[in-house]
Amino acid sequence: MKLVILSLALLSPLASAAQCTIDSQYMQASYKVSQQHEVDTAVHTQQFTLWRTLSQAAQQDEQLVEVWQQLSNQQLRPIRYFVQDKRGIEYQPSEVKAKQNFSSKQQLVSDELLAKMTLQSERGEGCDKVQKYSLKQADTTIEVSWVVNKKLLESMHITKPTGSQTIILQSVSFDKQTVQQQFAVWDNYQTTDYADIGDNESDPFLAKMINLGFIEHSAPGFYDTNGKTLKGGHHHSHH
Amino acid sequence: MAANMNKLNLLSLAVVVALAGCSDDDDNDYKTLVVNNTLPVGSQQCVNGGTETLEGEDTNRNGELDADEVLETNLNCNDPASSLTPQQLVNLSTNQWFKDAKVKMATSQENIAGIVKESGKAKNIILFVGDGMGVSTVTAARILAGQQEGKMGEEHLLSFDTMPFSGFAKTYNVDAQTPDSAGTMTAMTSGVKTDVGVIGVDEDIERGDCSTVAGNELITATELAEINGLATGIVSTARITHATPAATYAKSADRNWEDVSDMPEDAVTGGCEDIASQLVNFEANLEARFAGVDVDGLEVVMGGGRRHFLPKDAAFNSADAVSAVEGDRTDERNLITEWQAKYPTGQYVMDQAGFNNLDTETATQVFGLFNESHMQYEADRGNDIAGEPSLSEMTAKAIDVLDNNDKGFFLTVESGRIDHAHHAGNAYNALNDTIELSKAVQVAMDKTSIEDTLIIVTADHSHVFTIAGYPKRGNPILGKVVAVGSEEPSLAADGMPYTTVGYANGLGFRNLGDETNADAAYLEAPAVGRYDLTAVDTTSAGFHQEAAVPLGSETHAGEDVGVYAIGPGAHLVTGTNEQSYLFHVMDYAADLVKNADAKLAN
Repeated sequence: MKLVILSLALLSPLASAAQCTIDSQYMQASYKVSQQHEVDTAVHTQQFTLWRTLSQAAQQDEQLVEVWQQLSNQQLRPIRYFVQDKRGIEYQPSEVKAKQNFSSKQQLVSDELLAKMTLQSERGEGCDKVQKYSLKQADTTIEVSWVVNKKLLESMHITKPTGSQTIILQSVSFDKQTVQQQFAVWDNYQTTDYADIGDNESDPFLAKMINLGFIEHSAPGFYDTNGKTLKGGHHHSHH
Repeated sequence: MAANMNKLNLLSLAVVVALAGCSDDDDNDYKTLVVNNTLPVGSQQCVNGGTETLEGEDTNRNGELDADEVLETNLNCNDPASSLTPQQLVNLSTNQWFKDAKVKMATSQENIAGIVKESGKAKNIILFVGDGMGVSTVTAARILAGQQEGKMGEEHLLSFDTMPFSGFAKTYNVDAQTPDSAGTMTAMTSGVKTDVGVIGVDEDIERGDCSTVAGNELITATELAEINGLATGIVSTARITHATPAATYAKSADRNWEDVSDMPEDAVTGGCEDIASQLVNFEANLEARFAGVDVDGLEVVMGGGRRHFLPKDAAFNSADAVSAVEGDRTDERNLITEWQAKYPTGQYVMDQAGFNNLDTETATQVFGLFNESHMQYEADRGNDIAGEPSLSEMTAKAIDVLDNNDKGFFLTVESGRIDHAHHAGNAYNALNDTIELSKAVQVAMDKTSIEDTLIIVTADHSHVFTIAGYPKRGNPILGKVVAVGSEEPSLAADGMPYTTVGYANGLGFRNLGDETNADAAYLEAPAVGRYDLTAVDTTSAGFHQEAAVPLGSETHAGEDVGVYAIGPGAHLVTGTNEQSYLFHVMDYAADLVKNADAKLAN
C-alpha cells in the first residue's frame, strides 16, 4: 500500500494528496499535552490518544474514552466509556452544528478554526506537507502545525497571559484493522442510556454516577472553533 | 355567646331577688309588664338574630316598662343561619368563581348519578401512565398548556382534569419508600405491590436472581384481557422493553434484562427469557402457562427500543439507526422477523411514513419500533432521523386498530419520557411531554364512549419537582418569579432572581438555549446551587432548573400521585389507595378475572 502511495505521489501531487487523505481516515494518534500556568512554574503533562474512522472519533486516556459518532443526519452522538469498569454511557445525538464540530472531534482542530487562521509557512510535499498557521485573538495566540493532506495535527501551542498549553503529536499509525478492532472492543462494553441512569440506583456503577455525578472529561479547549474556551486542560476531575 | 347569656341571666336574677325583698317590706302592688323585642341579625346580643324578653314592674305606673323597671331579661338567640337571602348572597351569586362552582356541582352530581356502577360493564379499558408525572408536574403542565393557548394558565384544565372521578395512589414499593417504575407498574397492572426493579413478579423474588422467578410470576390485566378474547395493545414513548410497558407482558427478576446481552450468564443458562423475547413470545408464553388457552397475541405494540430486537450486527441496521451497530442481541436472533413469521398478516413499521400508511381498518396486528432506544421527547421529535409519530398519533392509531374487535380492547399507553426529562432536570421537556399525554388522553376520550370505556390516567411515581415562590397570577410557569404587583423578578437573599419551578436534587443549572433534547445536560458534571439568572431566558427549551443537592441525575419522589378516571367503574377511583388497587378497579369494570376463570374452566 505504501508503495502504491509512493508511486502515486511521484506521478501526481494532486492524486497523492487525495490518496493520503483516504489513507488517513482510520487513524490512531498519540499526543502529549503540556500545561504551564503563570503562577505555577511546574509543567503538567498528560497523554491521550485520538482514534478515528469515517464516522467516529474517540479521545482515550487511562480512565475514560469519549466517542463521537456522526449520524446519517449529520447529528453527533457522544458515548463515554469507562475503561476500568468496562461500561459505557450512551447519549442522545446533540444538536450541535454537527459538521463543523465533527471535524474538531476527528482532527482536534476544526476546519473552521483553521480557516480563520493565517498561513505562515509550508514545508514538505504530498502526504508530508506541513502548514504552519497562527491566530491572534484578543490576548490569546494560537500556533498550529498541520499535516494538511492527512488532516493530522502535528502540534498546537496556545499562549495566554495566564499560561500556555502545548499539544504535540508523539506517534501516529493508519492501520484500519487496529482502529476498527479498538472501536469494537469499546462497542462490546455494557452500555446504558444516560436517560436510564436515574432509574438504576441499584447498579453500583450507575449509583456512583447518580451520587457522585459524572467524571467530567474536560475537553481540550484548544480545538474550540471560536478560540474562546481555551482554558481547559486534558484532565479528569471528580465532582 | 353562651357564656354571655349566662351572665345576663345571673344578673337579672340578682336584681329580681333584691326587688322581691323591697316588695315584701313596702307591700306595693305594681303591674308586671313583659316586652318582647326582636333582635336583628348581627346584633350585639345575638349575632344570628333572636328575641329579647324583658320583664319588670311598672313602678311609675306609666303603662310602659322603662329601662329602670326591668327586673329580668331573657335572650332567645336564633341558631346559625342555614341559608341566606338572595340579597345577602348577591356578592356571591354574581361572582364568576361562584357561578362556575355551582355548575360544576350540578355536573358532579349528574356524574355520580350517571356513572355505570355495575361490574363488568366496561367493554374497553385504557390505562394511561405518565411516567414520573407527580401532582406538581400536572399542575405546572396545566399552567403551561393554558399559557401556550394565550390564557393566564392557572384556570386551564388538561384533558384528564375534566374527568369526573379522581383519587390518590400511594406509590411506595414493598422494599422502597421512594419507588421505581418496575415495582409501581407491576402493582397497577397485576394488583400486587412488589420490590423495586422487578417486573411482573411478587416480593418473594430476589432481584437479579433468575432462579427465584419460577412460582412468583403474577398475571396482568393485559394477559387477562387477552385470555378473555379482547384486543390488547401497548404503546409507549420509552423503549417498549422499558420497565413500565414491560410490566404489562413480562416476568423478569431485573428490569434491565431487556435483551439477552443485558443478562448475566447464569440467568440465560438458568432459563430466564429476556424482556424483548417475552414480548414477541407473548402469545406462546401465555398459552403455555394456562393449559387449554388459545389466544391471538397483542394486536398493537408501538414504542422505541429496536436495539433489543435486532442482532448485534450492522447488517441488520435500519434506516433509522443511530449507533454504528443498531442491534444489541448477542444470540443472533432477529425478533422482528420472528414476529413477522408469527403474524404474517401483521405490519411492522419503523418510521413516520410507515406509520402513516397503516390501514387501521384492515390491520390485524401492528408492531411499531420507532427508535433504536427511547423515542424522542415531543419537543425533540423533529430531530429523529427517519421521523416518528407523537404519543397522541400512536394512541389514535392504536384505538382504531383495537376497536376492530367487537368484544372490546385493553390498551396501556405510557408517556415514558416525562420521567427522563425530570431526571435531566429539564422542566421544559417534562411539561411538554405531559401536555402531549393530555392530548393523547383527549384523543381517547373523543374516540370512545363514557358508556362502555373506562379510562384511567395516573403516574407510577413522582419527582422532586416544585412550584415555589410567590409569582403573580399568569406569570410564565417556566419563568422567573415576579411578585404580585411587580414587573421585575423578585430577588432572593443572594440578590439574584429565581425560577418558579425547580428541583430538590439533580444536575442543576444548565443554559443550553434552544436545545430540545433534555439529556444534553448529562454531558457536564452537576452544577448545583445558585446562578445569576438575570440575563438567562429560563423559559427556553434548553434551560435546566437549579437544584439544591448535587446528584448526577435528579431522583424520583415518594409522595402520592393523582389518579383520574372516567367511564364504567370510575367511581371506584376515590380516596387514597395503595397503587395496587387500580388493578382491582379495572378488574371490577371489565370482570377480567371472572371472565378469564370462566374461559379457563371451559
